[in-house]
Amino acid sequence: MWSSTLISTAHEPLNVPSVPLARPPRPGGKSRGVSPSVRAMSSHQRWLSFVLSVFAVVLFNPRPGLGQGWFETGINLGQTKVRLAVPDLPPQSVNQQLVSLTQTFNKVLWDDLEFSGIVDLVSKSYYPLKIPQTPQQVDFKAWSSSPANAQMLVLGSAESVNNQMVVTAYLQDVRSPGSPAALAKRYVADLNTESARAIAHHLANDIIQLLGGGVPGINLTRIAFVSNRTGAPEIWVMDYDGHNQRPITNYHSLCTTPRWSPDDHKLAFTSYAGGNPEIYIFSLLSNRRLPFPTFRGLNTTPAWSPDGKKIAFCSSMGGNPEIYSINADGSGLEQLTFAPKVNISPVWNPKTGNEIAFVSDRSGTPQIYIMASDGTNLRRLITYGGDANAPSWSPNGLFMAYSWGVVETGTYDVYVINIATGQIVQLTHGEGRNTHPAWAPDGRHIVFTSTRSGHREIWSMLANGQDARQLTFRGSNWNANWSK
Amino acid sequence: MQSHQRRLIILTAILGLTVLGTTSCHKKAVPPPATPPPPATAASPTGSLTAEPSTIQAGQSATLTWTSENATNLDLEPSVGKVQPQGSTTVSPQQSTTYTLTLKGPGGENTDEARVTVTTAPPAPTAEAAPPVTEEELFEQSVKDAFFDYNRANIRPDAQAALTEDAQFFKAHPSLNFTIEGHCDERGTEEYNLGLGQRRADAAKNFLVNLGVSASRISTISYGKDRPFCTEQTRACWQENRRAHFVFGSETH
Repeated sequence: MWSSTLISTAHEPLNVPSVPLARPPRPGGKSRGVSPSVRAMSSHQRWLSFVLSVFAVVLFNPRPGLGQGWFETGINLGQTKVRLAVPDLPPQSVNQQLVSLTQTFNKVLWDDLEFSGIVDLVSKSYYPLKIPQTPQQVDFKAWSSSPANAQMLVLGSAESVNNQMVVTAYLQDVRSPGSPAALAKRYVADLNTESARAIAHHLANDIIQLLGGGVPGINLTRIAFVSNRTGAPEIWVMDYDGHNQRPITNYHSLCTTPRWSPDDHKLAFTSYAGGNPEIYIFSLLSNRRLPFPTFRGLNTTPAWSPDGKKIAFCSSMGGNPEIYSINADGSGLEQLTFAPKVNISPVWNPKTGNEIAFVSDRSGTPQIYIMASDGTNLRRLITYGGDANAPSWSPNGLFMAYSWGVVETGTYDVYVINIATGQIVQLTHGEGRNTHPAWAPDGRHIVFTSTRSGHREIWSMLANGQDARQLTFRGSNWNANWSK
Repeated sequence: MQSHQRRLIILTAILGLTVLGTTSCHKKAVPPPATPPPPATAASPTGSLTAEPSTIQAGQSATLTWTSENATNLDLEPSVGKVQPQGSTTVSPQQSTTYTLTLKGPGGENTDEARVTVTTAPPAPTAEAAPPVTEEELFEQSVKDAFFDYNRANIRPDAQAALTEDAQFFKAHPSLNFTIEGHCDERGTEEYNLGLGQRRADAAKNFLVNLGVSASRISTISYGKDRPFCTEQTRACWQENRRAHFVFGSETH
């Protein structure tokens, strides 16, 4: 159990800026290509080497997605990163339990901020010797000048009060001496690791929302996935960072394609537990299966409409795998596709709810199509050859992540297409087979399945393809879906 | 971060200069994600591989015959190896085997496949009275699976032959109910393969129904790529997994 409360600081009232504060001079620009060694050259040579270095960057760009302004902006990664100093918050007593929980808290906070994609964490070796615990103790000059060159500073302390862990935390703009703290908040947790992790995630969320243009952080979200680590494939859930992995089903059958309801209280998935592949709706509040109609044939790939009122799914009840929609209470069944081929993997436009993308092999190979949610106005989204599969619609409705493969080479990689313009960005580059991408609710992160470690495992990355992290390590794990 | 970027720029500038110094600097474009293979200047190798008969009993042999054009290097696997541009050979596989002929030439690479299905030999007559054979044992001995091409659910000629024999068996055992499982190889994504497996199972069912087997006796279920028969990453293994598999009794409700 944990909770948090805003606290007042010496500076009243608490002023929360809605945009990032003073920005540093943008690193890069035209001077980016001119290095000291280049300055010794003639202007002609300098120009040539500049052209060549740009050429080389394009040719050997090790950071996919960079340089695509439209894309970086669309996934909320287009802003200049804030230089943020995050010294370890000190425990206020030598109580062994508090010391240990504070270590956990500090590590989780650091990891969350590092993976946020919106801040540059200042290396701890550059910090001034004196670590402040209150805004009054901040040496603004020491933190804002070399070598730290920080813009913002997280400070505070942890104490043990009435058998609870209480963390008091501030976010301070160190370039504006005397300015009020951007964040001043007290976080209270029970004295256990999970609660300490939770309040660290909560503080990270608050910081990310302040420094990341108001987009809420994802540090308290969860990921549902399929794992066969206990034998049969079952539905599992973990925290967004891979911690706290726990099974949801125990059917000793085949369960797959888990999908979070928009309120995060339910999971829809495919289960073979009754013999036939059926759509199951499982309540995470009551830990029970909820009533939902069964149909003959294959029933799989459920998808919640953004208002939670409808579920689109694939069923072969009519003799062929087609897309249907149905009210979540089981009424109002409606067939949306009519093509005597495979039609599967529907996903709603999460922004409008009035379009559905899905996979069909009506052209000969699996490809991604978009239609209105009543089945009209059908169009093909990906016009390349190969196999295009597993669409995931970005939260802002602008992009579709998908996996695209070439049979001849056996490769599968994750791509994102700008739905309006057709521009494509490749996010993974042949490190194993990379499939089933799914967006995080912040639109900045994507979870996917990859075999790059030698096994089929769940990975997450920034939505520009950077900073891939392995989240699962036991058995085979696949088909992840991010909570809302 | 800044110094990191600067280091990258220096490195790439040096790299760029090296490229200029050692080549005539043809303009290279970044390959788009879906570039089709460049057109070959030489004619690409073609060929065909057939097995006669395509179904044998264990211990019998079949003849593999092949022809080719524009191929300089031919490899017939498994167990045969390098072969001449035209020819034939006999094989005696102990179990059903898909033979792959790989053709390489100046114009590229091509393959063709032929499958030899091996059925269990009828038990040799013995002096002792054989125990009565159950319908399920007969089913296991007689019913053949149907195999498919990648991304396809249409019944190809070898599957037509297998299913035609299966239909005769099912009509001779009219009280027997059975399930057709649709399976796929590991390429492609899990979800699409669930749909494709269903279409394969239903295609096999429809073929049998057209030959007079009652639809009410047949259940179908798709396992996509989730329950493979073979887990190696080879063409032969992938072919093993692209099938409609017959199971005695009804699996579904």
